[in-house]
Amino acid sequence: MTKVFNSVVCTICGCLCDDLEVTVENNEIVKMKNGCAVCEAKMVHGYKSEERILKPHVRKDGKLVPVTMDEAIHKAAQILTDAKYPLLFGWTSSASETQHVGVELAEELGSALDNCCSVCHGPSVMATQEIGIPTATLGQIRHRADLIVYWACNPWSSHPRHVERYTAFTDGRFEKSEFKDYVQKLKAKSGQKKVAAAIRRTRVRYQPPPRPQTALVEAPPQTLAKDGRRMVVFDVMKTMTAEVADYFVQVEPNRDYEIFGALRCLVNDQELDVDTVGGVPVDYLKEIADVMVNAEFGAIFFGLGLTQSVGRFRNVELAIALTRDLNRKTKFVVSPMRGHFNVTGANTVFAWQTGYPFALDFSQGYPQYNPGEFTAIDLLRRGDNDATLVISADPGAHFPKGAMQNMVKHPLITINPDWNAISRLGDVVFPTQWCGIEQGGTAYRMDSVAITLKKVVEAPKGVPSDEEIVKRILEEVKVIKANKAEKEDTGKQVLQETAAPKKRGSKTLKKEL
Amino acid sequence: MITLTPKRTFTVPIQAACINVDVFTGKTLQEIKNLSITEGKETITLNDAFDITEDKTIETPNITLTGDFSKVKRIGQGMKTGEIVINGDAGMHTGEKLSGGKIVVNGNSGGWTGSEMKKGLIEIHGNSGDYTASPYRGTSTGMRGGLIIVDGDVGTDVGCYMQGGLIKINGSAGRYLGFHMLDGTIYVGKDCSIRAGACMTGGKIIINGAVELLMPTFTIDSVKPKVKIDATQIAQGPFYVFLGDIAEHGTGKIFALKATNPTLSNYEKYL
Repeated sequence: MTKVFNSVVCTICGCLCDDLEVTVENNEIVKMKNGCAVCEAKMVHGYKSEERILKPHVRKDGKLVPVTMDEAIHKAAQILTDAKYPLLFGWTSSASETQHVGVELAEELGSALDNCCSVCHGPSVMATQEIGIPTATLGQIRHRADLIVYWACNPWSSHPRHVERYTAFTDGRFEKSEFKDYVQKLKAKSGQKKVAAAIRRTRVRYQPPPRPQTALVEAPPQTLAKDGRRMVVFDVMKTMTAEVADYFVQVEPNRDYEIFGALRCLVNDQELDVDTVGGVPVDYLKEIADVMVNAEFGAIFFGLGLTQSVGRFRNVELAIALTRDLNRKTKFVVSPMRGHFNVTGANTVFAWQTGYPFALDFSQGYPQYNPGEFTAIDLLRRGDNDATLVISADPGAHFPKGAMQNMVKHPLITINPDWNAISRLGDVVFPTQWCGIEQGGTAYRMDSVAITLKKVVEAPKGVPSDEEIVKRILEEVKVIKANKAEKEDTGKQVLQETAAPKKRGSKTLKKEL
Repeated sequence: MITLTPKRTFTVPIQAACINVDVFTGKTLQEIKNLSITEGKETITLNDAFDITEDKTIETPNITLTGDFSKVKRIGQGMKTGEIVINGDAGMHTGEKLSGGKIVVNGNSGGWTGSEMKKGLIEIHGNSGDYTASPYRGTSTGMRGGLIIVDGDVGTDVGCYMQGGLIKINGSAGRYLGFHMLDGTIYVGKDCSIRAGACMTGGKIIINGAVELLMPTFTIDSVKPKVKIDATQIAQGPFYVFLGDIAEHGTGKIFALKATNPTLSNYEKYL
């Protein structure tokens, strides 16, 4: 039976494109419209992987053995209750409903709680806490922005529909798409190639004009001052996005902070004592500052190149400070390019539940927050925790060696749909449904807009949702703790009773007398 | 004097803000042994984790900690009087919010040592971690007074949002030294990494070694033969004096030793 679902939400990146048209035949996705290549790879092919976990497993004598769900739940709850300081990590590819239960579990266990944003855009959240953030929804940027700046990110590869749906190549209410210009540019480029080929054919050696050796950056083109949408890319290498842009500024690695500082001075009409900053001549920066100030509505999008290079949240802080300075002269907004589809949701849910977005610790009975102290990698590197639960994440493939070595020293519980690197290392391995394909829920787009995910196919039999697994672990933990408390109480009573007979004996003696 | 020695090697962090002269004063040894601390999520007594002995013949230091205390956090938090000596490494948040007294660490110290401190003295005879004398996340009030002396190197983000007092580092300093500094003095005996004094609006940073890279948002002011560290100490120059951070309209000063910073001679043309 064929069924077509409209307005299905893609669960890959923070764009959460909600215009997919999915065709389902015999409980299997066979066709998809509107999605990007990455989306198709997961939603049409990837989710049917042969590496799918279909049963819970527990490690016995060094080997993972299939067990019943009850046994796995009990084992996981026992590990977490016995541990002095467990860590619960992941959450960003789960629905917000699961994250909500996760906070309750962490509170019940007195554990550390962290999500994947500590290795992606956590620094953006920290910078926001330091200085605030002037931002806007993607809808507003789509309709109004006439200057788009992509800083240290490559959406053409990482968020393939970002440019097409929200920025340069979309028709907004007040700003037109630049796609035609891009096509013309492509044609012109292919024309240039033809000319070069013709020159080669006539065996005349083609010598390109000499380039200045001092700077990697070319001078800003005159088209940067045109009306309509313009796109500027700052990055350390010429990415796909840079190819599309009107102007590409190649900066030296780890020098974004200095460039932001210099731009701030130039926007505030101050002189600099230096000639180049981060490999970019100050004269070019002056022209860029002019373009920024003269824009009617500018938007800066920044990626992991800022948050995970030297300086981390300080880089983002200065990006926000630049936006703040620009807002004195024109309208400017800044927005992080969030990665996992619900990493913004993890921050939002944790923040509304506990007051803090990530890097949490419940060991004192109340939430404490300190990135660097309670963030997963720092905690694991120091070897502070003695059990780990990983849900909807794969630190096995992405964490540093030292952190992983410490993680696998202690019991490890994993909740993931397929056999990825971390599942293979687990001591208790749970199967789960694909969020947004086999299970609905709520997710937050990169601009903190809540979007409802759709369920389009049924999960394999016996595979529960991650929300259900976390709920069951929570219930089991409560039962184990209650039993433990009861045992302690009865132990105390026995002690009292063993001490009491003498008194009772004396009383009864008195009565008898 | 009360002496604490760990009974075992700790695997999970211990939060022990009660290791504090103000808390110990007026308590019997048994009462001190019964003070509660947390090991991971579990609440235990001080006696469960440490061997505690009392020597009534010695008055100062009031508390001596002997052994590896690198997993023990918040030693001497908010202390007002007295002296703690740690013969070994100290954990995070040592001497946080210190408002008097003295803490001596004969080893290395963890992150956030002397965070938000107001008064008193912290001496570290080893290295100190990141965020030494820097405030809690999102707080814009850093160290307000007192003195921190570090014999070794310090990590990144030292002396952020500093509002007074002196940090004397005899070794090298990491990135973002004196970030958003408002007042006070930081002295670095050796080299300093990038972005020193970023966003500073007041105070002074004296660098007696090489500056890896000066922020472009600093402008040269003059060359000075010497500069005052505190009432008793003077650093001999000559020093390049830079003013900034001009992006924040700041008037903070960075003194960089001329002899060790030949790359900064480019700025001399603006004098």
